[in-house]
Amino acid sequence: MAAILDGIRVFDLTLAVVGPWATKLLAQLGADVVKVGAPDGELLNFVPPYMGARQSSVFLDTNLNKRLVALDLHDEADLEAAWRLAETADVFVENMRPGAVDRLGFSYEAVSARNPRIVYASACAYGRVGPMATQAGVDPLVQAFSGFASLNGPEGTAGEMNRYLVNIDITTGSMLVEAVLQALIARERTGRGQKIELEMLGASLALQGTRVAESLASGTAARPLGSASAVTAPHEAFRCADDVWLCIGVEFDEQWRALCEGLGAEGTALAGDPRFATNPLRVANRVELAERLSAVLRTEPSVAWEVLLRRRGVPCGRIRRFDELRHHEQAKANGWFHELDTPWGHLCVEGPPWRFSRTPTEPIRLGGANGTHNAEVLAELGLADHPAAAFEADAGRPLRWKTRTEA
Amino acid sequence: MGALDGFRVVELGRGLCAATAAMRLGDAGADVVKVEPIGGDESRGWSASVSPGADDAPAFLAANRNKRAVAVDLGRPEGLAVVRRLVASADVLIEELGPGEAERLGLAGDRRDLVHCAITAFGDDGPWAMHPAGELVLQAAAEQPLSLGRPGEPPVRIGAEIAAVNTAVFAAQGVTAALFHRLRTGEGQRVAVSRLGTLLHLRGILWSAQSDPDDWGGFHLDSYTRPVDDGYRTADGRTYFALRRASSEDYDNLMITLGLLDHLADPRFANFGRDAAPMGRRANETREVWEEGFTRFRTDELVSLLLDAGGDAVPFLDHLELAEHPQIKALGLLVDVVRSDGSVGRDVAPAWRLSETPASIRRGAPFVGEHTDEVLSEAGYDPGGIDALRRAGIIG
Repeated sequence: MAAILDGIRVFDLTLAVVGPWATKLLAQLGADVVKVGAPDGELLNFVPPYMGARQSSVFLDTNLNKRLVALDLHDEADLEAAWRLAETADVFVENMRPGAVDRLGFSYEAVSARNPRIVYASACAYGRVGPMATQAGVDPLVQAFSGFASLNGPEGTAGEMNRYLVNIDITTGSMLVEAVLQALIARERTGRGQKIELEMLGASLALQGTRVAESLASGTAARPLGSASAVTAPHEAFRCADDVWLCIGVEFDEQWRALCEGLGAEGTALAGDPRFATNPLRVANRVELAERLSAVLRTEPSVAWEVLLRRRGVPCGRIRRFDELRHHEQAKANGWFHELDTPWGHLCVEGPPWRFSRTPTEPIRLGGANGTHNAEVLAELGLADHPAAAFEADAGRPLRWKTRTEA
Repeated sequence: MGALDGFRVVELGRGLCAATAAMRLGDAGADVVKVEPIGGDESRGWSASVSPGADDAPAFLAANRNKRAVAVDLGRPEGLAVVRRLVASADVLIEELGPGEAERLGLAGDRRDLVHCAITAFGDDGPWAMHPAGELVLQAAAEQPLSLGRPGEPPVRIGAEIAAVNTAVFAAQGVTAALFHRLRTGEGQRVAVSRLGTLLHLRGILWSAQSDPDDWGGFHLDSYTRPVDDGYRTADGRTYFALRRASSEDYDNLMITLGLLDHLADPRFANFGRDAAPMGRRANETREVWEEGFTRFRTDELVSLLLDAGGDAVPFLDHLELAEHPQIKALGLLVDVVRSDGSVGRDVAPAWRLSETPASIRRGAPFVGEHTDEVLSEAGYDPGGIDALRRAGIIG
């Protein structure tokens, strides 16, 4: 059985992570994604680490399962080739700074005039209206501005970055995919395409929607609590006898009872204490509860607690690391990592986020370097003799990132 | 009208994940029925300040708009029969009952056109498949705390509920994709997502970055060991910035205005300051220099200076400051949502804007069992049958 988006073509004018992650997901759902990049490369080609001296691993990962075409959209012949592609596409995705795609000639109005069934998806940082409409933004700026960072950090601090600087990017890309799929359903029903807009700011707020609601309802901005949950307890990390932290994640009453049963005499005392009888009470008395639990959990090593408490149905576990996860039975059983050999070295990449019973996702494969598929794609468009068909991907020329004055 | 108008979704979840997934489908127009135990889902009490049965927690309200609620005792055969009947008339079942449980209960698996979304904690298979999990346990299993705090100190989590919400986004995607396939072929299917699988997917750039790099460098690889990054101090707050497009002249002017003329020749500030700006390779060594200049200005002045220099800059905000920001107001990202009793809560609006099939908020979060009679009667139960079930304690 073919993948779900088999037969859907995506014209991909994306860069960095937000747009490319979205089109990667569409490609893994079966779409034929053709990513058009400038011959000099895009931002992501300049993000380390590099493999085989020239290739950014970040670019390779973010552009899996696509066909990559290098075209200079300021060149007339290349622009015409890009338009041929746009006319054959079902979906158009871009995430440039507001206005930039219009200046290239690929505004919604222009694309939909030549291709009325197009699903046209646009993502940007802060939206297309309002005082910040013209600003560009990247993940850490959106983390800082949107309040996402204000929730992270030890108790008593005012918020810090998630140093993995693409969580908001990937979240935005995922939400863009949801919207594209909605629009494809609408098109299946009505025959008409439409325009989709999404910004990282809105995606970040939606990602923290429950936390934003807590702040607005209480009139007090939510603050960092270290490892602790603001809404259930006990739900935080405890230091064990081996100095390793055990994360406990009680969310439901039966898990609380199971925890108490696993902690001997002190557990029995906690279970009978009216100050800890319900989740709201445990959250309100969280600090005292954590002190009592710490004293017990400090007496045995983390591995012992993990085994004994898990067996009873208590959500708990240590912090794992990539090197143990990569080869863990749990990851193998669920296809969470994929190993790829590339011309630039070995690459371990993430698996797709879903498993479909009838329509398996595309096997993960390398897209490759910018411009890898010029000859193939141009030939399909009837442009085998186009000068760009001779583009040599990964030809070893030095890549150079343009400054504003040059661009 | 919404893109998913006319599709009916039954949600059998606990906590925030399935709830958020179903809400996202509801935002897009689907008719969502939330099935809860007779006492309501425990996430109604996920707060320090609610008393059971009285109020509902803000976190619950934010994950349950655009739904109707049915209360049923799923542990009794008659209750299970009610839920089977609701699923029989639905297009989509979203559940987090545990691997294989929906099939065992006869809720899924025998209807060819049902889209069945199974959300698990640790995946369908493998030695951890049946382990219970909470948000922190999943963040820890995906090594997320290694991107926060300091090595050797108590672990720090992401404050947002990313395991729940990012998984909900993938679940809603999977369901929408499966509905697209059903429209074309008439076939439903099972789509599985897991909260740990989601978090591992989200960190994919780190897996590829450390599998075979030429050098150990750059802001992805050093995220494991970089010092805490809590923004840059100004005279009255904090900012965050980037200098990706500043030209040579812009940059010189910026450094002069900031009073950092001495550092124009500082090799750490090479490449028009980009090396020293956040994400640059010398960022960790130059924070104090930037702050020496930045603390001469208020945040709003500084943001203007950096923007004028061709950089990007924002104030570092908490939720209450954000709620008052003109950009949030211009985009309408916070909206008032009204529940059936007239109470009003402030909520994050759907993030997508679709020109032809816009998302909508049609109702606030339901009370426990608020729509039991209405939904059961649509499913073909007569008033006498509904009364009998209620008297027997099967529904609430």
